[in-house]
Amino acid sequence: MHRTKIWILVSSFCLGFSCTDQEDEGDNLRAGGATTVFVENSNSFQFPAPNLSPSELELHRLGDQAFEGIFVTAPAIVNGGLGPVFNQASCASCHPKNGRSGFSENPNDLAGLLFRLSIAGQGPHGEPLPVPGFGGQLQTKSIVGKQAESQISYDFKITQEFFPDGEIYELRQAIFRMTNTYMPIPTATLSSARLAPPVFGLGLLEFVPEAVILKNEDIQDVNTDGISGKANWVWDFTESRVRLGRFGWKAGQPDLIQQAAAAYNEDMGVTNPLFRLESSTGQIQDDTLSDDPEIDQELLEQTAFYTRSLAVPASRNQSDPTIQNGKRLFIKIGCEKCHLSNLKTGSSPFQFLANQSIQPYTDLLLHDMGDGLSDGRSDFNATGNEWRTPPLWGIGLTLLVNGHTHFLHDGRARNLQEAILWHGGEAIKSRDAYKNLQKSERNAILKFISSL
Amino acid sequence: MFNTLLKFIGLSGLWILVISCTDEPTNPQIDYSDILKTETNEVIILTYNDLNEKASLLSSRINEFSANKTQAHLDLIRQLWRDARKPWEQAEGFLFGPVDLQGIDPSIDSWPVNVIDLDAVLASNDPLTKDYLDGLEGTLKGFHTLEYLLFGINGNKTIQEFTDRQIEYLTACAHSLQGETNKLFTSWINGPYPYGEILKTAGDSSNQVYLSQKSALQELLDGIITIADEVGNGKINDPFVRNNLTLEESRFSANSKQDFADNIRSIQNIYFGSLNTSFNEQSLAGIVKIKDAALHLKTSDQIQLAITSILSIPGTFTEAISANRAAIQNAQDQVRQLQFILESEIKPLFDKL
Repeated sequence: MHRTKIWILVSSFCLGFSCTDQEDEGDNLRAGGATTVFVENSNSFQFPAPNLSPSELELHRLGDQAFEGIFVTAPAIVNGGLGPVFNQASCASCHPKNGRSGFSENPNDLAGLLFRLSIAGQGPHGEPLPVPGFGGQLQTKSIVGKQAESQISYDFKITQEFFPDGEIYELRQAIFRMTNTYMPIPTATLSSARLAPPVFGLGLLEFVPEAVILKNEDIQDVNTDGISGKANWVWDFTESRVRLGRFGWKAGQPDLIQQAAAAYNEDMGVTNPLFRLESSTGQIQDDTLSDDPEIDQELLEQTAFYTRSLAVPASRNQSDPTIQNGKRLFIKIGCEKCHLSNLKTGSSPFQFLANQSIQPYTDLLLHDMGDGLSDGRSDFNATGNEWRTPPLWGIGLTLLVNGHTHFLHDGRARNLQEAILWHGGEAIKSRDAYKNLQKSERNAILKFISSL
Repeated sequence: MFNTLLKFIGLSGLWILVISCTDEPTNPQIDYSDILKTETNEVIILTYNDLNEKASLLSSRINEFSANKTQAHLDLIRQLWRDARKPWEQAEGFLFGPVDLQGIDPSIDSWPVNVIDLDAVLASNDPLTKDYLDGLEGTLKGFHTLEYLLFGINGNKTIQEFTDRQIEYLTACAHSLQGETNKLFTSWINGPYPYGEILKTAGDSSNQVYLSQKSALQELLDGIITIADEVGNGKINDPFVRNNLTLEESRFSANSKQDFADNIRSIQNIYFGSLNTSFNEQSLAGIVKIKDAALHLKTSDQIQLAITSILSIPGTFTEAISANRAAIQNAQDQVRQLQFILESEIKPLFDKL
């Protein structure tokens, strides 16, 4: 039932004894600064940051329970408020073991795959315009007696291509269709499939100073390296102002509170102090209860704190010669121009996140990834072709933690190599450089990424 | 109570034992494959087999309920629910692999029960079949939905209160549960990638999941630390400290104490490498005993103390929350002490393997 996690009582209390909080462990490196844990098993994404104070650890524990909490139909004694339409009933259903959702082969349960919806145009704050009758997200489940907005079916489009050395590879893309919609869906509907990403390390990314992120912007590609990098500017519902977007596949959320609040509302149909209206408001599936908000501010903040205070797993075996060569090649072919290895957090009201040197392998900026990856749908400043550089830390543990290696926004890549080969747009030079490497060199890059 | 633990640990001056930041190299000479085989074959697979057999028996007897709606048969299937619950709780010390990766856990053990939707389904004309139940959310099936229907929300449901529709639901629900337990059991032994083989061959060059035996051993150890934490700081703590009976696991059946004890037996089984409390040299305990015999004895004793203290709580757990708080406090302290030993003294040993 309650699936709380491991409370390894690690802490900076070890300072002055056998280690310091910035010390690496052998050839395993502190990717998350002092929030790093050295664990290589299926729990790797489930540890609290080891530098939490006792009171922060207690808050993290409460947040863990909230993150695992399964919601049910209201009214209920415990966790009421699910739906009426929803995607999943708990945070953990989309982020298994705090990790990456896999591409589900079961169209009746898409796990952590959801679909953002909009029609052409922008709202007053630059936001995508909701689809009449469906809103901004497709809810594919409902409580008993209501109807899900739609079901999803898909076919795979397979393309076969070659490396210059003659090796054949296949790329697979799911072509999704909405079926059994509860009402006709407007033909001009734009949709974007999104697979739930890991949730560790987010607190660190929340406190990378805005100036540090913007310093890497090069919208007009002034340095002519083919890489632009653009910030997304999104609406902060708490402060009622535009802020830098950091979270989500298109950097559509400015901070973890809003990220959590939006997920409660859209993914689970749980109203909260930030989003008080059911996602089904105005639709025939809407409930008639006057129980909103269905969770309070305290629970919302506990959930956000949980994602903020998770430990980052160390990168591993960094002295391995093949991995070192892979890293060199990773840099040489330009991957690191977007997947920045080194960032530093700034000041933070959460001391455990402040001034940490981290290796997330992201610049938190939007990049044109080409037509092949385009969803044809804009999201604030992000065009259909633009996606935020996803962090790579912990990516090599995906198979161990989540039992799959499905990557990219819709899970189309079945392994790391396919993910690289889907790169286009600004990354096309790097992708082609990768393709032109010797197989042993390609493998070295893959081994390096797998060590993160 | 969690703060109590922190205070205890702080006062004990043992913080430094909690983490190891050593860069000592691992020892490549030691082969732990026999330990991984023992834990897989003698504990994990046998437990899942037991679960599957008991879930099968529960399903077959519930299937007879509509034709034999008697108090005696109700008593029987209530006992069979408890019997099936036991190996499930004893499996919670190793909640990794297919139970998690294939999404089986939510179908077996989701909580709370979605009472509103359950009532709506019962009031509908939907055909109640295994396939129908399989397609429902986890909060409408599994152990706790069965428990709710069998025992009632206050644990005093009478035979007269069972409707035909409820019995139909019970039958499909038990069938669905058994489908999940069978999937879980077979996923460890059959198919192109039986998880048992993945765990046993940790460190082999062909094993892409567990790149080292150390990783697999730490998986086993973290599994039992996790359940110790869950029992001490979740299952016992939440209803006890918050004085909130709705947070109690298996409250409808008054089976919570048994659940907690079986969770600790799950630790015992993995630690000893056997299901019969006997020490198996090829086990986590075998590693500990070689490195620190006193620690091994202390751990063995603490496991037993935790189990005994849970089972010696007078009456039901629900009753004890108001009537015997000292006994619950003692049980919680013993479980937390076990967790503390596992993570602060044994885990560092495994980090250095």
